[in-house]
Amino acid sequence: MTSGKSETSTESTRYKLRLFITGSTPRSTHAIENMQKICKENLEGQYDLEIIDVYENPEATRDLQIIATPTLVKILPEPLRRIIGDLSDKERVLAGLNLAPLAPRKTV
Amino acid sequence: MSESDTHAELVSALMRIADLESRLREADETLDAIRNGDVDAVVVGGPSGQQIYTLENADRPYRLLIEQMQECAVTLGADGAILYCNQRLSALTGIPRETLVGRHLQEFVIPNDRAAFDQLLTQGLNSRRSAEFSLIAAQGENVPVNMSVADLPVAEDMPYLLCGVITDLTRSRKRTDELAVANEQLATEIRERRRTEDKLQLALDAADMGNWDMDLLTGKTTRSARFDQIFGHADLDHWTIQTSGDLFVDDDRQAVAEAFAAAPVNGTVDLEKRIRRYNDRALRWVQIRGLTYYRDGQPIRIAGVVSDITDRRLIDEQLRQAQKMEAIGQLTGGVAHDFNNLLMVIAGSLDLLESRAGNDAKISRYLSTARHGVERGAKLNQQLLAFARRQDLRVESVDIGALLRSFENLLDRAIGETIAVTITDPDDLFYGRTDPHQLETAVLNLAINARDAMPQGGTLKISTHFRTIGSKSTSPNNATAGDYVVVTVSDTGSGMPQDVVAKVFEPFFTTKEVGKGTGLGLSQVYGFAKQSGGFVSIDSVVDEGTSVSIYLPRTEAPLSPNKADPASDEVKGQGTILVVEDDDDVREIASNMLRELGYMVFEANRGRSALTVIDSGAPIDLVFTDVIMPGDIGGIDLARAIKANHKNISVLLTSGYTAQRFQTDGIDEGLQILRKPYNRVDLSLAVKSAIGSGS
Repeated sequence: MTSGKSETSTESTRYKLRLFITGSTPRSTHAIENMQKICKENLEGQYDLEIIDVYENPEATRDLQIIATPTLVKILPEPLRRIIGDLSDKERVLAGLNLAPLAPRKTV
Repeated sequence: MSESDTHAELVSALMRIADLESRLREADETLDAIRNGDVDAVVVGGPSGQQIYTLENADRPYRLLIEQMQECAVTLGADGAILYCNQRLSALTGIPRETLVGRHLQEFVIPNDRAAFDQLLTQGLNSRRSAEFSLIAAQGENVPVNMSVADLPVAEDMPYLLCGVITDLTRSRKRTDELAVANEQLATEIRERRRTEDKLQLALDAADMGNWDMDLLTGKTTRSARFDQIFGHADLDHWTIQTSGDLFVDDDRQAVAEAFAAAPVNGTVDLEKRIRRYNDRALRWVQIRGLTYYRDGQPIRIAGVVSDITDRRLIDEQLRQAQKMEAIGQLTGGVAHDFNNLLMVIAGSLDLLESRAGNDAKISRYLSTARHGVERGAKLNQQLLAFARRQDLRVESVDIGALLRSFENLLDRAIGETIAVTITDPDDLFYGRTDPHQLETAVLNLAINARDAMPQGGTLKISTHFRTIGSKSTSPNNATAGDYVVVTVSDTGSGMPQDVVAKVFEPFFTTKEVGKGTGLGLSQVYGFAKQSGGFVSIDSVVDEGTSVSIYLPRTEAPLSPNKADPASDEVKGQGTILVVEDDDDVREIASNMLRELGYMVFEANRGRSALTVIDSGAPIDLVFTDVIMPGDIGGIDLARAIKANHKNISVLLTSGYTAQRFQTDGIDEGLQILRKPYNRVDLSLAVKSAIGSGS
């Protein structure tokens, strides 16, 4: 299985997403705003989004091997995928969610 | 190694490469993100759990919150040293933050509260706690604060830090104080109001009133306990302005309903109507008075009081009756007085005629018939005067029981055989203060009325008993409280309806056929009882009978009877008499009779002209004067003047009102009174006696 250029959003599986943030830090709040917007535009009605404040629940980072916040984790559909940052790069987020082709990487 | 095996290995290797590429990309991205500052915090796993490390600027919002807030925020070392504080604490203490950090917070706690603060510092770990104490603020004033703290662990081998929030309680205290003052004020107002209500209740209780309140907006009515009691605890839950009339008797219902319906417009309710009391079906009069209250011109409630006025109405009724009887008495007395003068003229004229008639038998017979008519007239007049209480009462202490017993035979004869007469002896010896002859007449009058009420026969009972009367029950009869001997005459006859009972004491009121009664019997009883210092009560039920009670004041010691037998022959005499009388006819008759008796007579028609005659030095032996005369000097004044200035002149009074109580200030002692109408014999004896005693 590859990162799946050919896969489409027509797949019937519900998206299970988890966003890890740290309180009301600037990037965390940005990440929440951006995520809400992307979900509303692209995944209306077919996703479950959990927002986890790692201050309140540090142990929640262990299972999904979170090393920094904010981090969005796509749990379903597989494969599991982590997208780090404030999610302001919409194309990268969509690509990570298998919703759009991945643009060529800017840097290596 | 087969070709297919080699192919499978290749596929597997390719897949692993793809997976590794994906992971590598993710690791690259993560590194990029951290390098570019796209993250706020990193998570570091360790044996003691996941640790979050925020990067620079990540806690800026918290700092802003802390700096902005109106509470003081501090971080303290275990010994109370200030490690961090916000601007607010600096403002409160008036010390710059630079100098404040490093000092100990307890320096700012007032000495009295230091213990409370120390306890806050040392109290159990890992607990959230708070305390109230006062801080020494910028200008040296004390500021009450609340401090809540939480422990912040930093490292295993280091003491915990304390994070605290200090809230200035000045405003809240002030508000609490204001609230307390407002509460106290409210409590005072409530107490005041309750006192007022208590007073109102006391007043209502004293007035024996209930109260009620109709809310016109909700239709709800509230009533006091006394209200319900007055109405006999009827089901009043739906007593509203619409059903207000339902409690009243049929005849009054409409009027009550109309009065209440009009109340919102009129502003008041004021009615006296009858109810049929619910619990005992008694007919009661109630008075309801109320006022309408308005808000913005709209009637919103009607409230007022209610009282049972049955007793008051009864007493009012009795009082009105008593006043009416009093007025009739006055009138009757006046009529009787004039009537006496007329009889006087007739009787005197008859006497004079007789002395001139000689021995003509026919004339003698006519004169005798005429004189008989005068006597009957005089007797009738005595009854009128008895009612008017202007007759001469010979009051003595009378053994009532004995008097009635001695009366039994006479009664039996008067009553007839179809009626059984029972006279019940009293339990004890009762003496009443009264005129025995008048009492006999009164009982006889009552017995005759009883007989007439029982044409088919029946039982007549006369009983005597003793009764003590308190002030309340006697007031309508104008009698004073005290001990009374009560003589009750009751029959089993036809009885009388209430409207007849109300009139029976009025003179000339009679239910008997024309010619059968004078209508003066009960009037005599009434007047006699009043004059004796007592009163009369009457109970009558139609078809069951009537019972009349005479109340006479009880007395103890019998007074010695004082009786003189009247003489029957005229006595002639000599001397000069001044006759003072305003009625010309009476004066002429009296003068003529006196002349025929042998006296010299002067005449005067007023007290003042009589004094003129006396002062002129005329040789007068006796002044024979009427008591009641127009002008400033009456008979009594005249007698006093004579006593004072002319000791040798005797005085004889005469009056139609012989029961008048003269002011006897010693000076009037020995004054003699001749009752009108008198005949020549009476006059001759009285004149002779008066002249004799004077000289």
